[in-house]
Amino acid sequence: MWNRTFNGAVCTLISLFGLALLTVSCLPTPIAERGGINLTVYGFSIMKESLEKSIYPAFSAKWKLEHGSEVNFTSSFAGSETITNQILQGVKADIAILSIERDADRLKQGGFVTSDWHAFPNKGIVNKTPFVILVRQGNPKGIRDFADLGKPGVKLIHPDPVSSGGAQWSVLGIYGSELIKSEKESGEPDPARALQTLRAVWKNVISTPGSAREARTQFETGYGDALITYELEGLLMKDSQKTPVEIIVPQATILSEHPAVVIDRNVSAANRPIVDAFIQYLSTEEAQRAFVKHHFRSISFENLNLENQRLARIEREFTIDYFGGWPRAYPEVIEGVFKNQVQRK
Amino acid sequence: MSSLIPTMRHVRGFDVARPLSIGMLVFMMMPLVFLPLASIFYFGTIQGLDSFWAALTAPEAVFALKLSMVTSFWATVFNVFFGLFAAYVLSRYNFWGRNALIVTISLPTAIPTAVAGFALLLLWGPYGILGRYLAPHGIQTMFTAGAIILANVFVTFPLAFGVIKPVFDTMSRSLEEASATIGATRIQTFWHVTLPSLRGAIVSGALLTFARAVGEFGSTILVSGNLAGRTQSAPLYIFAKFNEGQIEAANAIAIVLALFSFLIFSVLFFARDWLDVD
Repeated sequence: MWNRTFNGAVCTLISLFGLALLTVSCLPTPIAERGGINLTVYGFSIMKESLEKSIYPAFSAKWKLEHGSEVNFTSSFAGSETITNQILQGVKADIAILSIERDADRLKQGGFVTSDWHAFPNKGIVNKTPFVILVRQGNPKGIRDFADLGKPGVKLIHPDPVSSGGAQWSVLGIYGSELIKSEKESGEPDPARALQTLRAVWKNVISTPGSAREARTQFETGYGDALITYELEGLLMKDSQKTPVEIIVPQATILSEHPAVVIDRNVSAANRPIVDAFIQYLSTEEAQRAFVKHHFRSISFENLNLENQRLARIEREFTIDYFGGWPRAYPEVIEGVFKNQVQRK
Repeated sequence: MSSLIPTMRHVRGFDVARPLSIGMLVFMMMPLVFLPLASIFYFGTIQGLDSFWAALTAPEAVFALKLSMVTSFWATVFNVFFGLFAAYVLSRYNFWGRNALIVTISLPTAIPTAVAGFALLLLWGPYGILGRYLAPHGIQTMFTAGAIILANVFVTFPLAFGVIKPVFDTMSRSLEEASATIGATRIQTFWHVTLPSLRGAIVSGALLTFARAVGEFGSTILVSGNLAGRTQSAPLYIFAKFNEGQIEAANAIAIVLALFSFLIFSVLFFARDWLDVD
C-alpha cells in the first residue's frame, strides 16, 4: 500500500520535471537578445530619457559603423539605492549609472566593482544637475527658498533617502544651503540653524516615494504643494505640460554629480571592450551634448550648458566637496544629522 | 376605483427593503470598486483608441503580458498538482504533525508578498543559503523568469489546496470503496472515481491560482530584476510606466488585466454548476 502511494508520488515528480523542462522553452524571447551584443544597464530613475532616446541609439550606430556588430541595451530604472541593492543581490548588470558616489563605493566594497572609476574621464562623473523646488502654478504658498518649505501648512513631497539618491542630494542641498547662507550673514556657518531648517522642512513631508521619478509622478497627479527634485525633472514636467508648475531656484543649492561604474564581476571578457568604449563614450562631446539636450548639465564642456537656454542661473552653487566628499558627507550629514537628529525626532 | 387602492397597498411580495438594499449595495460598491475601475478605463482611453492600441502593442508591453501569462501558467500547473497531492495526503491520512502541515501550507496567504520576495532572495540569491553553493557553478535562479515562477508558486501556494481540500474532506468514500471492491487498483480508483468528482474544485482552484499569479507584484519586483523586455512582468510594467509618468501606457495594460480577471471570474461563476454536476 505504501509502495503504491510512493509510485504515485514518483510519477507526479517525473511529470513535473518534464513540465519544468518545457517551461524554459515556452518563455517569450527577451526583446534585446534577438541577435547582437547585449549590454545591461541599471540607471537611477531620471536617466531614462537621455539614455533611451539619445545615448543608446547614438552609441549603437557609432559602434556598428566602426565595428560592424549590433549592440542592444536592456535597462532598468529605479532609485539609486534600490538598483545598488539589486546589483549587490546578484542582478546581472554590466554598467550602473548612479545618483550618488556612495552607491559606487558600496558596489566596490561588495566586490562587484574592482576597477577604479575615478580613473575614468571626469573622475567617473557623467553629468550633473542642480536641485530645485517645484511648486504649483502661481506659487500659491509663496515659496522662495528651501527654508520656506518649513512654513506651517506647506505639503511637501520628498523622495525617500533610504532608496533614492536624489533624496540624499536634497537633504544635503537644504542643509548646505542654510550653512552657506548663515556663513554669508554672520561670517560663521551655523549648524544649529541648518538643523532647525531641515527639521522644519521634514515635518512638512507628506509622502516619501521610492525615487525622484516616483516623487515627480505623485506631484504630477496633483498631490502636495511642493517637491524638491533635480532641475531636469522640473523642465521635463514643463515639457509634458500635463500639470502646470513653476521652478523655484534656491539662492544656494547643490549640484548633484552622477557616476557611472562598470560592474566588473558581471562583464564577460568578450564584452569588456564594448563596455569600456561605452564608458568612454559618455564623456565625449556628442554624449555630453545629448545630456544637455535632455536638461542635464555637462560635466566637462561648460560651454555646452549655454546651448540649453532653459537651464537656470544659480546664485551660489556648491557640490559634495563642500562637505568634504561622500566619504564624509554620508556619515556626518545623512546619518549624523538627518537620520539621527531629524528623522528620529 | 375605490376598491383598487386597498389592493395596491396590499401588493403581496412587494418588499420595500428589496430595491432599497440592492440600491444600497450598488451605492456602497461605487466608491469602493466601480469608480476606481472606471477611472482605469477612463485614463487608459482618454487619449483615444489609437494611442490605447499603440500602448498595448508596444513590444515591451506585449513581452510583459506574455511573460506574466507563461510564468503564471507554470506556477498554476505546479500548485494544482501540489494542491491535489497535499489535499489527498492530508485528508486521507492522519498523522502526527498533520495540522502543523495544514497551517504551514496556508501561511503564504498572510505573509506580506515583499517578505515572500526577499525570503526567496535569501535562499537562492548569491549570498543565500542554497544560492551561495550554486553561484560558483554558474547556476542562478534569481533575476530570471524562473524566479518569477518561484515567487508565484510561493504566493499562490495555498489557493488550489484550499479549494480542493474541503471537497476531499466531504467526499463520500462509498464510491471509492465500491471501486476497490470490484478490484480497481488505488491509482485506477483515483483516476476514474476520485479525480472526476474533484473536477470542479480543480478547475476553480486553477483559475484562482492563475488569476492571483498574473496580478502578483510585491514578490516579483524583488526577485525578477525588473528588466524591461527581459524579466519585467505585466504588473511591474504597469508600475514602471506609472512611475515614469506614462499613466496612459500603464492604464492600457491595467485594462487588459482587469478584463482578464473579469473573464476568469465569470468563467468561475458560470462553470461551477456545470462542473459540479455529475
